[in-house]
Amino acid sequence: MNSKMIKRHTKITIFMHWFNTFCWFFLLATGLGLIRNDDLQLTGGWWSNLMVFLFGSAETLLLVHEIVGLLWAGVFMVFLVFGFRKYVLPFFKQIFTYSPSRDLKWLIKKNIQMTLGYKWLKRLGFTPDIPEQGFYNVGQKLFAVVSVLGGIVIVVTGLIMFLSNILINNTVIVQWAIFIHFVTVGLVTGGLLIHIYMAAISPDERPAFFSMFTGTVPEDYAEHHHKLWYDEVKTAERKAVS
Amino acid sequence: MMKKRLAMVIDSSSCIDCKACMTACKVENQVPAGNWRNWIKVQDADFVQSSRPEGADSIHFQPGNCMHCDNPTCVQACPTSATYKDEKDGTVRVNENLCIGCGSCIPACPYGARYRRPDKKIVDKCDFCEHRRQRGDLPACVTTCPTKARTFGDLNDPDSDVARLLKRNKTVRVINPESDTRPNIYYMSMTAPLNWPVKAEIPTPIQLWKSVNPLVWGFVGLNALGVLAMLGKQLLVKDEVPVSAHEEKKEDGDEQ
Amino acid sequence: MSSKVSTPISRRSFLKWSGAATAATVVGSKTPVLHALVPSNKNTADGKVEHHFSTCDMCLNKCGLVARVENGVVTKLDPNQKFLKSRGMLCARGNAGIAQLYDPDRLKYPLLRKGKRGEGKWQRLSWNEALDYAAKQLRDIAEKYTRCGVLFSPGSDMQSTFVHWFAEVFGSYNITTHESACLLSRNRAYLDTFGEVPFSDVLHTKYIIMAGANRYEALITPDSIDLMSTRKNGTKLVVLDPRYTKTAALADEWYPVRPGTDMAFFLAIIHVIISEKLYDPAYASEKLYGLEQLGEHVKPYSPEWAEAECEIPAKDIYRIARELAAAAPAAIVYPGRRTSDYVNSTQIRRSMAILNALLGNWDKPGGLLAARQVGLSRVELPEAPFYEDNPDDRLDIGRAHMMFEEEGSFKHMRDAIIEGEPYPIKGWFVYKHNPLQSEANRQRTLEMMEKLDFVLTVDIAMSDTAWMSDLVLPAPSYLERQDPASGLQGSSACACVVTRNPVVPALFESKPVFEILKELANRLELGEYFDFTIEEYRKQQLKNLADAERALREDGVYYNPSKLYGVYEGRIYKTKSKKIELYNERYAEMGVDPMPTYRPPRKVPSGRFRMVVGRNAYFTHCTTQNNSLLHELMPENSLWIHPKAASGLGIKEGDLVEVSSAAGKGELKASLKDGIREDTVYMASGFGVLSKGLTNIHGKGACMAEILEDFSDELSGNMAMHETFVKVARKVA
Repeated sequence: MNSKMIKRHTKITIFMHWFNTFCWFFLLATGLGLIRNDDLQLTGGWWSNLMVFLFGSAETLLLVHEIVGLLWAGVFMVFLVFGFRKYVLPFFKQIFTYSPSRDLKWLIKKNIQMTLGYKWLKRLGFTPDIPEQGFYNVGQKLFAVVSVLGGIVIVVTGLIMFLSNILINNTVIVQWAIFIHFVTVGLVTGGLLIHIYMAAISPDERPAFFSMFTGTVPEDYAEHHHKLWYDEVKTAERKAVS
Repeated sequence: MMKKRLAMVIDSSSCIDCKACMTACKVENQVPAGNWRNWIKVQDADFVQSSRPEGADSIHFQPGNCMHCDNPTCVQACPTSATYKDEKDGTVRVNENLCIGCGSCIPACPYGARYRRPDKKIVDKCDFCEHRRQRGDLPACVTTCPTKARTFGDLNDPDSDVARLLKRNKTVRVINPESDTRPNIYYMSMTAPLNWPVKAEIPTPIQLWKSVNPLVWGFVGLNALGVLAMLGKQLLVKDEVPVSAHEEKKEDGDEQ
Repeated sequence: MSSKVSTPISRRSFLKWSGAATAATVVGSKTPVLHALVPSNKNTADGKVEHHFSTCDMCLNKCGLVARVENGVVTKLDPNQKFLKSRGMLCARGNAGIAQLYDPDRLKYPLLRKGKRGEGKWQRLSWNEALDYAAKQLRDIAEKYTRCGVLFSPGSDMQSTFVHWFAEVFGSYNITTHESACLLSRNRAYLDTFGEVPFSDVLHTKYIIMAGANRYEALITPDSIDLMSTRKNGTKLVVLDPRYTKTAALADEWYPVRPGTDMAFFLAIIHVIISEKLYDPAYASEKLYGLEQLGEHVKPYSPEWAEAECEIPAKDIYRIARELAAAAPAAIVYPGRRTSDYVNSTQIRRSMAILNALLGNWDKPGGLLAARQVGLSRVELPEAPFYEDNPDDRLDIGRAHMMFEEEGSFKHMRDAIIEGEPYPIKGWFVYKHNPLQSEANRQRTLEMMEKLDFVLTVDIAMSDTAWMSDLVLPAPSYLERQDPASGLQGSSACACVVTRNPVVPALFESKPVFEILKELANRLELGEYFDFTIEEYRKQQLKNLADAERALREDGVYYNPSKLYGVYEGRIYKTKSKKIELYNERYAEMGVDPMPTYRPPRKVPSGRFRMVVGRNAYFTHCTTQNNSLLHELMPENSLWIHPKAASGLGIKEGDLVEVSSAAGKGELKASLKDGIREDTVYMASGFGVLSKGLTNIHGKGACMAEILEDFSDELSGNMAMHETFVKVARKVA
């Protein structure tokens, strides 16, 4: 496949993505390790015991969870403030813009195609053409929305828990924060599994995976998977030349 | 090393409500003003039965503190087991460095034995004066009591005072029938009041978590199944991309 | 699942380091109890920890204690397990000693009054200035009004002996102590019956009657503790009290006796014992004087007669008399301590002493015990100077029949000072004593103070008396002091010697009263009389007790294994007849009833209540209410009133009421109690303070001293605090 490369992600974007990845894995691992109530164990607590063993004690586990959590939230706070116009706003525009009929069709068809294949798509009576998508396909947009909103909820509830024995006197807020923190993490983690498959394991998306390192994708990949974005880029190029 | 089962046997008929135990505990454990790690429950004299109440109709004083239960509902309320039952000696403890003071355990105790410290904002309660025990002393309340109403020791040691007292005397435990936490403070049988412990309440968010937990994991599991399906398809199904899949420009509005 | 606790970098330290926690401690904490000095983490494994013996001073019992000192801060007071008198315990007040030591309201440096008395305006003086000023005042008064122009009032303290000594060398006969608000009636009665004041062998007795003494709340060691032990052994306890106190509640029988009629009850019991011959005739003929006269005297005092007076059923009086006699000699009519109740309180206690005598319990197990030998030596001091111009006697002489020289009668002293007769008193030295709260009729004490040119108070806190003084000098708490040795009678527990050495250095600029007196003496040319240290003084006290110094150092107490029972074998009684006097000749000679003759108490007028005084285990009289730890146990006092009486006045639980008498009034909340007679009310002492320097309790509750009228016992001059009738009215907001 010989194809020119299009720039897809900036260095900052790449950094923030992997920073997020690292923090998320660490926080998920340590966070799960903190759940030590017998009634909340589904598999006998082996993970928590492993985490506690690795970090020495449950309180150290909590400490590092808090440190990385604060670091994660802090860096994103800075990113939000300083990168708002250049990075955050465009990103939000992307992920919060939908064309309902096209996107719904994409969701249904893509899901069937990814799990059962084109053969079944045809057998179920669909045409094999998957609708065009922009910079992000709707699946990516949905996951982005879930992880951004979810992330905000997780940070806020996490901060409440962190500040619980520093500034807060209302224990009801803290108790709800504990519950909401867990549920939200669960919801985002569900989507995360799909994201990891789609981005890193599915061969179709291999170019996308590499773009999270190089910052570029091949043109024919872009044309096939993100036609609407590809068309915009090409239009801009043509304008620039003329 | 033999596991201990630390407990107290209290002869509440010896109690004169002098509050030495409460004050000693407060000093020993720096309990903030307005909170207590231990208490003396009072059942007032019954002046209806008799104008000169005596015996059973008389006033009754009942010293108490965290019962270090064998089935602690407070531990059941804590998500992180920051409060836990120590296997080595049977005491229920609070890990000060792990507790964030969410207070879920507080209404979960039928005895109201826990409180949230206004200064450190974490939960505190009786620990049978662990730091005193470490240096070979008895808990402060036990040592200071003028009438020696409290006896403390290891129930797993048949020669201990508590074991012997239990063997030779009829004792009762003060329990809420809906929340039998199997407390480890035994009272000589004439103690009163008996009906004061409340039903253990686990706060709604924590209860919700417990009920919702399998659902959340189920949701994650569903997603994992989805991933497995896609992975399976990727590895096992030879999927040919039809040519027409790339020609959809003019067919946006089509339904199928 | 359990979690290991220890961690190298604790979460606490991380949060502190992150700065957040410091903000929180400023915002969130408000611990008035312990200073910032106190380590917040109790697990200071690396701090320097020391243990020091001392002797508690939160009340008069002087329980042995061990102070735990971490990094120079006292963190806990524990009982000295070797201390027999306390049976190895420490009560709520003993534990609260730390809050006295670190009391934010503590007096810190000498204060001279600036505005009017009671305004609370003070000027800080250096010690030299303060002592110079005090010496000048004392000298001026001595010159103008003779040495007896200064009244000395030492409280109960191990250094009070030096105040007595100072008064002696200064030349004043005028000394009052708190005893004339307390136990003088009892002492008088027992001295005049047995020749000495006994201790009760509560632990070994089989039957005990307590009239008024509320031992489960008015803690006395070992009696309060032994009372519980002896009851567990089957001893019967009968309580007479207009209130259902904790002692009454935990007794076998409680009688809400009509206040002031106890004598009727006891005379009736004597009547039964004599008429049914329930006493030991051999013992009586050998040891008792006046049985025949007594037999005649009590003939009219039948239980049937007594029932009408004291409201205790005659059949119970018969039964109790027989049960008491059957248990004798291991049977006690408990002498009690505070007997400052009625104008005939001495005679009331005479009836009780006489009954004890009939039981034959003197000097026997389970009975009344003589004082045991402690063995401290008298310290040789130079003979005090004689002052030519001094009057003949103390000021209050002759106002009561049989006053005690060293204690006098505060009520009579106060009257005399106000009258200015027979001679004026213009100065007052008060040490660890708070008459404005402890003596009946606060207004009268204030009136007395108006007559005084110079009032000096040495105290640890700004008590009401200090608040109204001219010069206030800060003393250290007991944990900061070195004291002389003191002998203690522990009933059947022990006879022992205690002392104090500083557990921590004296805080602020506090100075022990011994030092103050020494420096005053130096300024008044009396230095030679105080030319010793406490160390030297103590050495002399202990010189005949070879093992005492070692025992005090290693055990915190020295025991003299002196005889417990049979002390009086082959000895005579220190009375005129050399026997136990049922009939007192001296009384007869003085025109006083030689045997107690019943006189009914004044009737409670309709619409009024009799106010009674009483104690609880949290406070020591009218002190320690402001102690931060104890204050939590009882933030204010309330008026105990029977629900029927209350409803008749439209008073509900918790309502604010005004209590008023001929002496004064106060406002406090009402507490409805079935356990009190309908004609009686009660409130705890020590509240309704004038002093703004007692920040926990200022503005709370009502003052007992303000309301009590100053009746006194005819014989001893002891204050009679149960003779006040009050009006109670609901305060409409």
